[in-house]
Amino acid sequence: MGYGKGFHGEEKEFDLEEMEKETEEMLKIRYLNSDNADFKRTEGGFVSLKIGDENYERVHVVRMFPFTDPEHYISIRTPDENSKEIGIIKDFKDVSADTRKMLEEQMNLRYFTPIITKIINIKDEYGYAYFDVVTDRGACRFTINIGGSAVVHLSDTRILISDIDENRFEIPDIMKLTVGERKKLDLFL
Amino acid sequence: MILKYAISKELRQELGLRENEELYYCVPYDIDDDGSMLDDSYIVVSNFRLFITKKGKVLESLELKDAGEVIAEPLINCGTLIWKQNDTERKLIRYSSKHLARYAYIARGCRLLKEGETIPVESDEDEKTCPRCGRALPGTKECPHCTHQKSGLINSMWKYMKKYRMLLTTAIILMLLATAVTMLNPALQRILVDDIIKDENGTMKGAMIVLLGMLALSIGIILINAGKYYLCAKLGANMALDLRKALYGKIQELSLSFINDRKPGELMNRVIGDTNRVRDFMSEIFCDFATIAVIFVFDVIIMLILNWKLALIAFAFTPVAVGISISFRKVIHRRFHMQWVKDDNVRSNLQDVISGMAVVKSYGQEEAEGLRFNEKADAYAATQRSNETVWALFFPAMQFILSIGTYFIVFFGGRSVLNLDMSAGELIQFVSYTGMLYQYVGWLSNLPRHLMNIVTAHERISDVMNQTPRIADGEEAVEHEIQGNIEFKNASFGYKSYKPVLDGINLKIKPGEMIGLVGASGTGKSTMINLIMHLYEIDNGELLIDGINIKDIALENYHSQIGVVLQETFLFSGTILNNIRFAKPDATYEEIITAAKMANAHDFICRTPDGYNTYVGEKGYNLSGGERQRIAIARAILNNPRLLILDEATASLDTESEYLIQKALERLTAGRTTFAIAHRLSTLRNADRLVVIDGHHIAEVGTHNELMEKKGIYYGLVNAQLEMNKSA
Ligand SMILES: Nc1ncnc2c1ncn2[C@@H]1O[C@H](COP(=O)(O)OP(=O)(O)OP(=O)(O)O)[C@@H](O)[C@H]1O
Ligand SMILES: [Mg+2]
Repeated sequence: MGYGKGFHGEEKEFDLEEMEKETEEMLKIRYLNSDNADFKRTEGGFVSLKIGDENYERVHVVRMFPFTDPEHYISIRTPDENSKEIGIIKDFKDVSADTRKMLEEQMNLRYFTPIITKIINIKDEYGYAYFDVVTDRGACRFTINIGGSAVVHLSDTRILISDIDENRFEIPDIMKLTVGERKKLDLFL
Repeated sequence: MILKYAISKELRQELGLRENEELYYCVPYDIDDDGSMLDDSYIVVSNFRLFITKKGKVLESLELKDAGEVIAEPLINCGTLIWKQNDTERKLIRYSSKHLARYAYIARGCRLLKEGETIPVESDEDEKTCPRCGRALPGTKECPHCTHQKSGLINSMWKYMKKYRMLLTTAIILMLLATAVTMLNPALQRILVDDIIKDENGTMKGAMIVLLGMLALSIGIILINAGKYYLCAKLGANMALDLRKALYGKIQELSLSFINDRKPGELMNRVIGDTNRVRDFMSEIFCDFATIAVIFVFDVIIMLILNWKLALIAFAFTPVAVGISISFRKVIHRRFHMQWVKDDNVRSNLQDVISGMAVVKSYGQEEAEGLRFNEKADAYAATQRSNETVWALFFPAMQFILSIGTYFIVFFGGRSVLNLDMSAGELIQFVSYTGMLYQYVGWLSNLPRHLMNIVTAHERISDVMNQTPRIADGEEAVEHEIQGNIEFKNASFGYKSYKPVLDGINLKIKPGEMIGLVGASGTGKSTMINLIMHLYEIDNGELLIDGINIKDIALENYHSQIGVVLQETFLFSGTILNNIRFAKPDATYEEIITAAKMANAHDFICRTPDGYNTYVGEKGYNLSGGERQRIAIARAILNNPRLLILDEATASLDTESEYLIQKALERLTAGRTTFAIAHRLSTLRNADRLVVIDGHHIAEVGTHNELMEKKGIYYGLVNAQLEMNKSA
C-alpha cells in the first residue's frame, strides 16, 4: 500500500507514515531473550514484561504450534482484544530458568487439555458416548457427540477428543492403551 | 443456563451473610490451582460480595464495591475469572469450557450489581447436559428421558393422528385381522395332523380342504400385511408432512436470534430428519408393534391354555432369547457403525480431493493423495469383509441358539405325546407358537431403542413448536404508515446477551434524511440496521419509529414499507423476474423495468439470452457480484419503500456503475429516509449526516464538512483513503 510514498514526499501524510510503520511492525519478527526482555511475576498471578522502554503490565503467552512443537516458538502478546505480538521466544534456552518457569506456569494456565491415561468405560447411547476415564488431571467423565467430528487424528496414533462442552482431551499414543481399552475406543477411531 | 446452583445449608452458614445480603449467583468452577480437576467448589455472588468457596469452605470474600471490574477471560478450552482492582489484575479461579458461558454472565452480573442494578441477569441458553440424569441434551431445553415425554408423545402424536381417524381405524382392524390369521395357521396344522393324518377316518378330501384353508390363510396374511403397510405408510407420510409444514411455519415466525442460536443445518435437520423419523416410526414400528403386541399376548394365552406346563418351560427360556438377541444386536450395531464411519471417511476424503483437485494437481501431489485414498479404501474394504464374515457366521448361530428352546419343547412335549397326555397335532401347534414367541420377544426387546428414537425426535420437534416468538405482533400492534422519524434512545444490543455490540446508542433521524453509517469492519453497522428492520429486539433502551415503539408496530405491515439491500446479496433460485418482484408479486412489467433501469440492471439483463426470464441458480452464483447487487437494488426499490436501507449495496460495482446508480437513487431517495453503509466513503458523499460507530458507541455525528473540521475518526478515514488512492 505504500510503494508510491516517495512521490508524495512533500505532502503532509502522517497517516500514510503511520500505516507504513504498522506494516513494518507487522512483518518484523522480534526474538526475545534474557538480554532484551525482562519478565516478572505480577501479584495477581500473571506475568509482566519490560523490554527496553516498553512496559507491559501483563502479557499472554501463546504457543504457535501447540501440537507439533509446544516447547518452541512461544509468542508473547498484548492481552487486549486485538492482541498484538510483542515478540517471540524461539527456544527456552534463550531465557533464564526462572523466566522459563514463570512462562510455563502461564501456559499451563492458558491451555487445558487433559491427557487420558486410562479408559474405564465408554457407554454409547442414542448418538452420544459417555466416557469414564482417568487423566493426568484426575478422574473425569465427559460426553461426546458421536455424529460430529468429536475425534480428530493428529497423527496415526495420536488423537484429540472434543466433548459437548468443547473441552478437549488428548490421547498421545493409542498404542500405549491396553487392548481392552483400545477396543472400547475402536468405534470412534 | 443455570446461574444459580443450589447451595447447601452448611455452605450458606459458612458464608455468614449480612443483613440485607442476598444471594444472586452460584456457579461451580472445576479446575484447581495446580491444574487438576476439582468438584464441589463454587463462586458465590451476593449483592455485596463475591465468595470463593472450595469443598464447602469459604476461601475468600471480596467486596464488589472495591472491584474495578470482574472479568471472565476465555482461554484455550478453559477460562479464568479475573478481579481487577486499581488497575492490577488478579486471577481468582479457573474453569473448563463447560462453564465458559456461565462465567461471562456472572461477570456481567457483577458489573450490574456494582452499578446498583438489582435484577439478576438471566440466560436463556440451553444447558448441554441434563442436570438431573447427566445425559446429553439433544439440543433441547427439556431432557427427553426425564420429562415425562412418553405421555406427552402420545398426546401430541394423537393430535396429529386424529385427523386421520379413518385411516387409523382401518389400519387397526387390519392389524387385528393379521393377528387372527397368524394364530389360526398352527391350529389348522393341528387339525391336519390329529383329525386327518392320524385319524382312521381321515380322507384325502378332508386333507385337501384343510390344505386349501392353509393356503387361503397364507394368501390372506400377505394381502392383509400389504394393506396394513400401505395404510401405515400413508399415515406416517401424512403426519410427517403436517409436522413439516407446522415446523416450517413456526420457524419462519421465530425471530432470527432463535435461528442464529442453533448450528447451521440443525433446523434443517429438524424439519427434514426428525419428521422423517416420525414417518419411519409410524410406517414401520407402529405398524408392526401393534400387530406383534397383540399376537404376543394371544400367543402366550393360547400356549397356557394348550399346555400350561410346557408353556412355562418355554417362557423360562425367554430371558435367554432376549439376552441373546440384545447382545447380538450390540455386536452387529457396533460393527456396522464402524463400517459406516470408514465409509464416511472414504467419502469425505474423496470429496475433499475432488473439490481441491486444482490445488492437488498444481502442487503435483496426485501420487501422495492417491496413496492416502487407497489406504482409506483398503481399511473400509477390510472392515466390510470381516463384517460380512461375522454376519454369515453369527446369524445362523444365533438362530440355532434361539431354537434350542424349541428342542426342549419337542423333548418334553414328545414325552407327553408318547404318554398320550397330548396329541401330536397339539404338539406341532405348540411348537409353532413357541417359535413365534421367541421371534417376537427378540423384536420387542428392540422396542425401547425405537421408542427413545421417536421420543428424541418428538422432543426436538416440540422444542421448536413450543417456542414463543420473541418478536411477534402484540395485542395492540398497529398498522403504521412510516413517515421516517427514527429515534434510538439509549439502545443497547448484543447477539449474545453477554457480548454487547452496540451500547447506549442515541440518535434521532428526521424524515427524508440520508444517513451514512461509517466505521471499521465489525463495529456494528449492519447490526444497527438489523435493529431498524426489527429482525432483532434491542436488549435495553428504546427504538421509536415516528414516536411509536417499534415493538408496537405490526411486523408485516412495517416490513412491506422497507426496501433493503443486504450486505450479503441473496438471490433465490428462480428467474431474475421473480427475484425482482419478490417483495411485490403483483408488480407490473413497467414497474419492474423502471426499477431495473434505476438500478442500472436493465441493460445487462437484456443482454442475457432469456432476458428477465433468465434463471439464476442457487444463490445466483452464475451472476457476477455486481450483477447480483444490481438485481437486489431493483428488488429493494420496486415497491417504493418509505425507508430505504443500503448495506454496502454498491460495493462490488465499478465506479461508473456506482455513479449512475447513485444519480438514479438520488431521485428515489428524495423525501425518504435512507440508511447507507459503505466503506468506500465516496459512496456516501450525498449523505445529509454521517454517523461514525466505534467501540460499541456512536463516536461522531455530523455532515462531511463538520466531521472533517473535527479532525476525528472520520477525518482519519477520509485521509487514509485519499492517500491510499494516490499511492496505489
Ligand atoms: N448473527 C450474528 N451472531 C453473532 N454475532 C454476530 C452476528 N452478526 C454479527 N455478529 C457480530 O457482531 C459484531 C458486529 O457485526 P456487524 O455485522 O454489525 O459489523 P459491521 O459493522 O456491519 O461490519 P462490516 O463492515 O464488516 O460489514 C461483529 O463482531 C460480529 O462478529
Ligand atoms: Mg456489515
